[in-house]
Amino acid sequence: MIRIEDVGKRFGEGENLFEALKSITLEVEEGECVILSGISGSGKSTLLSLIAALDRPSSGKIVVEGELVSKLPDLHASAYRAKTIGVIFQHFNLIESLSVEENVIVPLINSGLDMPAIRKMAEQSMQRASILHKASQDVASLSGGEKQRCAIARALVNDPKVILCDEPTANLDRENSLRFIDTIQKLNQAGKTIVIATHDPLFEALPFESRVIHMADGMIGKHGE
Amino acid sequence: MNEILLSSEVIVYLLSEALLYLLLFIAAIATLGILKGWNFDRFTKRQFDLENRSYLVMSIIFFVLGLKMLLLPYFAYTIDALSLLVPGAMCAAGVIDANDYGSPLLLLKIIILFLSGLWLGINRLDLEEKHYPYMKLKSWFYLLLFILLSAEIVLDILYFTHIETTNPVSCCSVIFGEIGGNSLPLGLDIPKLLILFYLLYALLVLIVFTGHYLVRIAASLFFAMIAYYSVVYFFGTYIYELPTHRCPFCMMQAEYRYIGYLLWGLLFTGTFLAIESAVMEGIFGRDALKLKKISIGFLTLFVLLCSSYVGLYYLKNGVLL
Repeated sequence: MIRIEDVGKRFGEGENLFEALKSITLEVEEGECVILSGISGSGKSTLLSLIAALDRPSSGKIVVEGELVSKLPDLHASAYRAKTIGVIFQHFNLIESLSVEENVIVPLINSGLDMPAIRKMAEQSMQRASILHKASQDVASLSGGEKQRCAIARALVNDPKVILCDEPTANLDRENSLRFIDTIQKLNQAGKTIVIATHDPLFEALPFESRVIHMADGMIGKHGE
Repeated sequence: MNEILLSSEVIVYLLSEALLYLLLFIAAIATLGILKGWNFDRFTKRQFDLENRSYLVMSIIFFVLGLKMLLLPYFAYTIDALSLLVPGAMCAAGVIDANDYGSPLLLLKIIILFLSGLWLGINRLDLEEKHYPYMKLKSWFYLLLFILLSAEIVLDILYFTHIETTNPVSCCSVIFGEIGGNSLPLGLDIPKLLILFYLLYALLVLIVFTGHYLVRIAASLFFAMIAYYSVVYFFGTYIYELPTHRCPFCMMQAEYRYIGYLLWGLLFTGTFLAIESAVMEGIFGRDALKLKKISIGFLTLFVLLCSSYVGLYYLKNGVLL
């Protein structure tokens, strides 16, 4: 499903060289939930951005769903993300001036589907993320938890096989964090492959099967179930 | 420094060409580096760096070649503007013949225009794929193109620095005015030229969708040549409404509402797209139906525009020239 082979990522050159990832090798099976845990700067988010083809590695191979994503040219990387990947960011990355429904629709704009079909898909996705009741409300007026659910709805709208979450509960209180975990559990049970980068201890003992991978200093540390 | 080099059009033109050439030169050096180390099957830091660099370099080449395409009509505008400074010149025709470098430079620019278009087509094909299948081809092609671009900048400088403002030159009425056995190619006269012009257009419309790609390329080039002579020696006289005025450049002046830019633009673009569609199908095995339709659209507009001048003149005056 996700195969990462000997991946390195370097930023800068000479004295400013920083190795964010050092020879990472990892496999994630289809339908698996993997938690990448570690302190800030350990390389979790960088690894997620490489899996999402938001950035390219400096060396190594990343294959997702049989697609060699580590070498995808920009044009194809966008198509790959639109088809295969849903991303939930720490700061949600929503367009504040748009409504919830409009934000959820954004990934489908270039899908070639007609507007009624797009609206139907957005509605289903908002229903799944429990934010349908706020569909017409501007994102700027939402609470942190509601923004999170809007971001989940947007990530799910293209029915991706892989969901990547980058510090998804960093801006949420405990109640909303638990609600998010509940949503993730349902998605995982629905067969989605999920990779979460987090340092939230709540994810260390999830109420469903998951694999915790500790990262430190750009490398994978001890593995745990 | 002579008046030519001090004219604002020449300053803008030469500075633009020099700046673009600098970018092309940097791109050529980088392209050599890419060719030297490129191996897509590798997952090393060097290969990833080359892939990132190639994206930047090819983007630079893409934009510079696009800008150079726009500079060709500006070159025509510039030499037309110089006709005010060169004694005897009535339009760009006189200025282009002001020294031995002008005609080769114009020919080279047209060849570069076509090759640049072809490079852009191959680049587009490469970007459509996930594994850069044409990276080496387009890199070598660019280096070949760069040799021509280097010759062009040298000719540009030689041409503009060798235009005399004291020696009179021949104007278009002398250069194109004589209609003799040698003025038209293949021993053609005007009626035969026109028959060939319309026949070739009809043939092109037919074979562009069905013919072998080499036949299509040959027919497109032959049509472009016959169309050039037809405009200069027949249709142009209706644009100028003067049977003795045979010039490919005067029609680019304000007096004739700059129609020459549209006319030559339609012919060059239509011909180029016909050739590109043939190359894309014949060599790269791609579907080029859209290109073919656009090329025929451009050439049809060209033929209609040429013919309309004759038709309108006849309607207005009841006679032909």
